[in-house]
Amino acid sequence: MSNTVKLLVLIAALTLPLAAEGGSDTKGKFFFKKTCKSCHAPGGSAKEVTPLSKTQAQWKAYFAAGKHKKGAEKLDSVLKPEQVKDVQTFLVNHASDSPQPETCGG
Amino acid sequence: MGTTRMDRRLFLKATGATAGAAASIQVGCLSYFKKGRSATADRREVPTTCELCPNKCSAIAVVEGGLVKKLNPNPENPKSRDMLCARGNAAIKQVYDPDRIKQPMIRVGARGEGKWKPVSWDEAFDFAAKKLAEVKEKHGPQASLWSSTEGFQEVFFKNLGLAFGSPNIVRHPTLCLASVNLAYSMTFGTVPSFDLLNSRYVIMSGANRFESIITPDTMDLIGGVMERKAKLIYLDPRFTVTAAKADEWYPIKPGTDLAFILAMIHVIIKENRHSKDFIAAYTTGFDLLAEHVKSYTPEWAEKETEIPAKDIIRIAREFSDAAPRSLYYAGRRSSWYQNDFQMRRAQAILNAIVGNWDQVGGMVPNAKLPKGEFLFMPWDEPKAPRVDEIDKHFPLAAKGDGVYLKLRENVLSGKPYPVKAWMVYKQDPMNAMPDQAKTLKMIEGMDFIGVIDVAMSDMAWYADVVFPESAYLERTDPVEVMAGIWPAVVYRQQVVKPIHDTKPNLEIVQGLAKRLGLSDYFDYTIEQWVDAEFKELPIPMAAEHMKKHGVWAASGQPSYGKTLTPDHRFVTKTGKIEIFSERLKEAGHDPLPVYASPEQPPADRFRLILGRVGYFTHANHSNNVWLHEFMKENDLWINPKSAAKLGILNGAIVDVTSSVGSVKLKARVTEEIRPDCVFMLHGFGKKSKMQSLVYNVGASDAVILETAWDKVSGNAAFHETFVKVTNA
Repeated sequence: MSNTVKLLVLIAALTLPLAAEGGSDTKGKFFFKKTCKSCHAPGGSAKEVTPLSKTQAQWKAYFAAGKHKKGAEKLDSVLKPEQVKDVQTFLVNHASDSPQPETCGG
Repeated sequence: MGTTRMDRRLFLKATGATAGAAASIQVGCLSYFKKGRSATADRREVPTTCELCPNKCSAIAVVEGGLVKKLNPNPENPKSRDMLCARGNAAIKQVYDPDRIKQPMIRVGARGEGKWKPVSWDEAFDFAAKKLAEVKEKHGPQASLWSSTEGFQEVFFKNLGLAFGSPNIVRHPTLCLASVNLAYSMTFGTVPSFDLLNSRYVIMSGANRFESIITPDTMDLIGGVMERKAKLIYLDPRFTVTAAKADEWYPIKPGTDLAFILAMIHVIIKENRHSKDFIAAYTTGFDLLAEHVKSYTPEWAEKETEIPAKDIIRIAREFSDAAPRSLYYAGRRSSWYQNDFQMRRAQAILNAIVGNWDQVGGMVPNAKLPKGEFLFMPWDEPKAPRVDEIDKHFPLAAKGDGVYLKLRENVLSGKPYPVKAWMVYKQDPMNAMPDQAKTLKMIEGMDFIGVIDVAMSDMAWYADVVFPESAYLERTDPVEVMAGIWPAVVYRQQVVKPIHDTKPNLEIVQGLAKRLGLSDYFDYTIEQWVDAEFKELPIPMAAEHMKKHGVWAASGQPSYGKTLTPDHRFVTKTGKIEIFSERLKEAGHDPLPVYASPEQPPADRFRLILGRVGYFTHANHSNNVWLHEFMKENDLWINPKSAAKLGILNGAIVDVTSSVGSVKLKARVTEEIRPDCVFMLHGFGKKSKMQSLVYNVGASDAVILETAWDKVSGNAAFHETFVKVTNA
């Protein structure tokens, strides 16, 4: 195997865990804040929601069901389909049982 | 002009001659200004936020004739305790420092030679963007490294690295407190604050809080100890100022603190002194702990630590008797040994089993305050994995921070891929990382190095282009929530216009972004950013309030016990405080702290131990003319018995040599250190001639420190170097 191929294989292998949910954490945070938090915020029209509102398994189950407003509408009627994956990645990565050690500043 | 004046003599008088006298600092300054204040037409007071250390105290700048004349504490921030320390006062001299970088510069000689060409901002941006683009074209965006340390404008720098497409953002925590952060996060799901103001019994392991960093919680501790409210037990191989003020000092054998803590846990459980109700309601894994510590007896620990078993037993009893107002204090200090994470875990577990969580005088989860957020356009995630292979080697560590020393090893080896460009913001890896020769080798291997900083650090000295950042008193920064027992929202606003051709970091980032085709991600002003943050502060006329007061601290009163409810879920895998950690087990680490005796130095060598002093922040500010008055040079502490064997006299120049380097220092022969250790202070021996007061004065510990890290967090282990000491 050439060095280039080895590098690509290595990058693919190491990238896999990051892409487990198939979306972007950075974009997911953006869409969550821009769309979801427009209602799900303190004093908003719906109950406050943060990533810590559910465990990783609960978020995965929520997105698997794909329902919004207690089943009254589909989730992808609120978020575009590609945004749903990003938001799911963000929420799962920062769920109430996620490994997310605190840091200094930053 | 008015009569308000702050010269060197007055500064020294006002701030006291030693850090130990810091309690008088604010009194001295305030009384002076009460007497010396006079009205002048152009006199202004501008509330802002100090930047000279991580504590971020609120300050009020006094401006006259367009110059910053004085910095006063801002009493509206309860966390600041109405104080501004020596460093905080000396921030004026950061602005008016003749050594400052006064305009962008491009290197014209060899790296480190100190030959520079002053250039315009356009030239500097064009040069850097061209070099970064070349590296990206040849090796991919992951071949760029973006190093930074904490600061209110750090976010813009990190975002530039990510938008550029690099996963290699590496921050300071693994050269600082990553082991603490990870250990407490793994146990409690968060890193709490320590209620030193109300604690009645405090144990510290090598965190020299009365001397190494003087912040408002130092004052809490000094108040507690001096008024005899609290008992302070202090473990340190060196007799520090903290040792002098402690009730009991134990010159513990280096690297054995974990044995001391495990023996304390043993005594507390054996004597049924643990908090049973708390453990049952909020923790998981206690039974496994009880079994685990059976062999860690005080008698065993005496042999490891050289602390008498009877004292360990008594301290364990006193600690549990004082609970919940007792604390095994975690910070502030970096990691000393390769078992530092497990030592911190043991501290966290000891604290947990006496039930001091979320209690007055105990550990308190940090309260937060709401603020808005500016939503900027998000970029595609970097595609490559991190060069430090954090997922493979440190799967539990904070991904966004990276692991500094492993990163350097991989960059030097060129595996898993080459890194050829290094951008640095506000950090000095030349002094912050052990083994300076390796850092220099890493520098040699770079096709491009750019540094953004206020002063010409050693790292900047070795750069290809230097972007001068405006000092904090010259710029407006993002709003920050300082979480804690006394949470506050703080605002840093421009006090005076930049006196040189400098820019705030955001504008430097935008200058680069524009030339790299990344402008869309940075299409905002600092005013728009700050306004978005003000918008969600739950106070009327928030922007006006913050500009007028510089701080909002809600009620200013601490609250305790909010997490002590049956339905509270800790941010851990089980939702409980994890005494036993499944997650550690899954990652191949000890799920409960296991002790191993540290390696000891051979007969002809000493363990090198380090420390900080409250006049400086790490390797910064030793070139500040006012702070330099307090300490002009570092030296080598050595015990008289050891010195006598080697024929070393007090004041003699000695060579201090490790496997990676050698430095010369003056010997300080003193009983105040164990015979098996020598000590030196961090922050001297600079290579940058634009640190003129400390250029080639004393020595940098980075030259002789060897590379070692904590196995779980990757935190650099700074006390794992053995050195030879000989007369020069």
